[in-house]
Amino acid sequence: MKTYILRRFVQIIPLLFGISALTFILLQLAPGDFLNQMGENPAISPATIEAMRRNFGLDRPWYIQYGLYLRNILLHFDFGESFSRHQPVFTVIREGLSNTLMLAVAAAVVTWGLAIPLGIWAAVRQYSWIDKTLSLIAFIWLSIPEILSGLLLLMLAARTGWFPVGGMRSIDYDDLTAIGRVRDLAWHLALPALVVGLVPLASRMRQMRGNLLDVLRLDYVTTARSKGLDEGVVIYKHALRNALNPMITLFGYTLGALVSGSFVAEIIFSWPGLGRLTLDAILTQDQYLVMGSVLMASVVLIIGNLIADLLLAVADPRISYD
Amino acid sequence: MARVGGVRTLAALGCAAAFVCMAACGSEGDGDSNGPKAAAREQKPLPEEPRVETGEAIGTYGGRFIIAETSGPKTFNVLMANETSSTDITGRMFVGLSDFDNESQQDKPGFAKSWDVSPDGLTWTFHLRKGAAFSDGHPMTAADVLFSFQLAYDETLHPSVQDLLVTNGRKWDISTPDDYTFVIKVPSPNAMVIPLSGSVPVLPKHVLEPIFKAGNFASAYNISTPPDQIVTSGPFRLKQYVAGEKAVLEPNPYWFGVDEKHNRLPYLDELVFLEVPDQDAADLKFRAGQIDGLENVKPENYQWYADNQQQGTYRLYELGPALATNFFWFNLNTAQKAENGRKVGDPLIDPVKYSWFSNVTFRRAVSMAVDREAMIPSIFFGEAVKNWSTSTPGSKVWYTPDVVKYDFNIDESKRLLASLGWKDTNGDGILEDTKGQTVSFTMKTNSDNKMRVGMANFIRDDLAKVGIRVTLVPVDFNTLITNIRDDKQYDTLLLGLQSGVPPDPAMGQNVWRSSGRTHYWNISQPKPTTPEEAKIDSLMDTLVTNSDLAVRKQSWKEIQDIVNTQAWVIWLPTINSKLPMSTRFGNAKPSPIPHRLLWNIDRVFVKKH
Repeated sequence: MKTYILRRFVQIIPLLFGISALTFILLQLAPGDFLNQMGENPAISPATIEAMRRNFGLDRPWYIQYGLYLRNILLHFDFGESFSRHQPVFTVIREGLSNTLMLAVAAAVVTWGLAIPLGIWAAVRQYSWIDKTLSLIAFIWLSIPEILSGLLLLMLAARTGWFPVGGMRSIDYDDLTAIGRVRDLAWHLALPALVVGLVPLASRMRQMRGNLLDVLRLDYVTTARSKGLDEGVVIYKHALRNALNPMITLFGYTLGALVSGSFVAEIIFSWPGLGRLTLDAILTQDQYLVMGSVLMASVVLIIGNLIADLLLAVADPRISYD
Repeated sequence: MARVGGVRTLAALGCAAAFVCMAACGSEGDGDSNGPKAAAREQKPLPEEPRVETGEAIGTYGGRFIIAETSGPKTFNVLMANETSSTDITGRMFVGLSDFDNESQQDKPGFAKSWDVSPDGLTWTFHLRKGAAFSDGHPMTAADVLFSFQLAYDETLHPSVQDLLVTNGRKWDISTPDDYTFVIKVPSPNAMVIPLSGSVPVLPKHVLEPIFKAGNFASAYNISTPPDQIVTSGPFRLKQYVAGEKAVLEPNPYWFGVDEKHNRLPYLDELVFLEVPDQDAADLKFRAGQIDGLENVKPENYQWYADNQQQGTYRLYELGPALATNFFWFNLNTAQKAENGRKVGDPLIDPVKYSWFSNVTFRRAVSMAVDREAMIPSIFFGEAVKNWSTSTPGSKVWYTPDVVKYDFNIDESKRLLASLGWKDTNGDGILEDTKGQTVSFTMKTNSDNKMRVGMANFIRDDLAKVGIRVTLVPVDFNTLITNIRDDKQYDTLLLGLQSGVPPDPAMGQNVWRSSGRTHYWNISQPKPTTPEEAKIDSLMDTLVTNSDLAVRKQSWKEIQDIVNTQAWVIWLPTINSKLPMSTRFGNAKPSPIPHRLLWNIDRVFVKKH
């Protein structure tokens, strides 16, 4: 197992190299550069723009820029500076990343916290009106674009005052007690987490339902029932444990998508995450900030996939990587 | 092993229940934006020579004003900041020698209490306020102004303001005869010295000189600098910045501005810039009372705001026509050096199209084919006016009502096209020119701007009615700029310009001079291509150097008349600007000029009930 993990980590290096090269080339292919839009400001002269272009090193050919970028990473672990903020890329990204992860984890809690019990409920009452209603609601939610569901929930919040209209913290956050701060964060987190979390709910719920139904048809379940065991014990003690097995793998894979899944919600709910930062960086062609965000998202994705593979081995004794 | 996994997932389930409860229980806090209790205000002695600001009412201290911004500040370094998300904030934190009064649209004193100019118009003497201080209490003197100008002129930093502080390519000569006098000598008369002197923020030499000498000025005062280290000269200083969320300003306890009763301004305890990236979300937040004012509202929402203001929690201010324009032009750029098989002076577009575009009769006919009134109800929701200049009716000083214009007149347009000898020879509804070429061209605009795309659609339909085929090509904004600046690959292009502060046409030299980089239809000409453009250049010289307003206005009128007679620019309607602001505040005086809400925020106060 250890050698497997080590091997996977070694594989990350060429992968990240490839991703960075591809991102850099795509950024170069996009028309213009960071200073391009500034050219439309009549107050800024071509001389200023040329001076800035030299300061940023944007006047050099792209392969030299990329070479310098790689060299700074390898020698100094320096990922460059954001053009617009005059700050190291990692300082800029760090905070956004933690906020995005907070939202993503809360969304995962919503998805899985609802998908598993509802999936079980639907499986136990297969073809009943409960099963059908749950599927209907889940699929309606699946088919509403996040941007619409987000705005609808924001409207609800604005009308009722039950929830804040976007943002991550109240204005008075700093004056609150520790418990008050946690409550304030949770209160702000509720709607965006709901929007992001409910999208994959339909498929997760159907998978849970399907898994459990498969297991319930197996012989050992029939045996358990024929022994006269209580139906609750049969389902929750004998069937459910095996039915959850594939869900664990699936859970591992969704870890990888955590960072990229909430961009739309971040913008609608003014959530200060990595998605907004990246979008802003792409629109202004703040190239090292884009590079930093893409690499960061890639690392999270790769690690998420690794965890998924490991979870699979842990959960299923038939799988071994040695 | 499977057992362990199952238990973990069920544990997560328990978490979810607790989370939902917490979320539902915590329903207090944000809805209340009345702000903190009015804390005892730091009472520093007033400067010897304060600036007295007049307002409708004497205010009271306390309260908080929350405004939404679509993106956050990138830096608090006012000299290096180039985007409005930063300058909206830094503009409240720093002051220059002069200031601008949005209400009268005139210059007013800043750190300089007064100024005078020598009879030859070359030597400008600024008399500085005695007793003024930075937010850390350190005295503000002429040495700080000199240091700020030196930063502005620094070649390595090259801040954008540098290019404005020159006359005929020569830097101004600056000196400080004593602590409270600052002198600018210009090489030739310049009507813009006062507003431009106001565009250099006064920066604290005692804080920034060591940083500048160490070569780190560009990254000084960045968004991770601790707020108490950012020493300001303006009405506010930074209290707190939370990345991606908000920037909170508090009063500068040493600010030299006072009201008529010599109460130190600003009245507010806090000015909060809240980051709300989505405009619809900002609307909802305003409606829920969690924001006190919005600088930008989509015109499709004007009606909603107007209908709901009876509830009395806010007012929708109608500010009249905006100082922003919409127009399109024809690509008349020619090769400036021989390359790609073109000789110098050859058109960069299809020579057939160039022969149409360079014909003034054709351009007038196009202008007269555009039904501007029809655009207003559908694209601008009725909230726009026809406009014929970069000085829109919103400009109090520079709007010229009686300029030459070629407004909608479809019969005249058809007659003009017929006079060119163009007719529809093959009966397909589209004209052919005298050589039998179908009269058809493309129009580019940026695809993310719904209004521009909408206007381009109207223009296509209008021109089809006189027998001209237009194909729309909406493209990404960056591509558009590359097309304008570098490859010049377009036939016609629809764009807009936003006026600067002050809205003086001398600030628009880039647009109107033949050598200008924003002289869109034929940019950066080595020498004027047409006699009309040569005439504009000389009128622009008068406009920039003469200090007699009547003479300057006459020059501006002539420039507009030449541009419109030539129909180089086909003008489109200008939107009316409106903005909502909470009625809890006194002295609110929104203006169509940027910073619409914020320009007098130091006088705004929370009304007592």
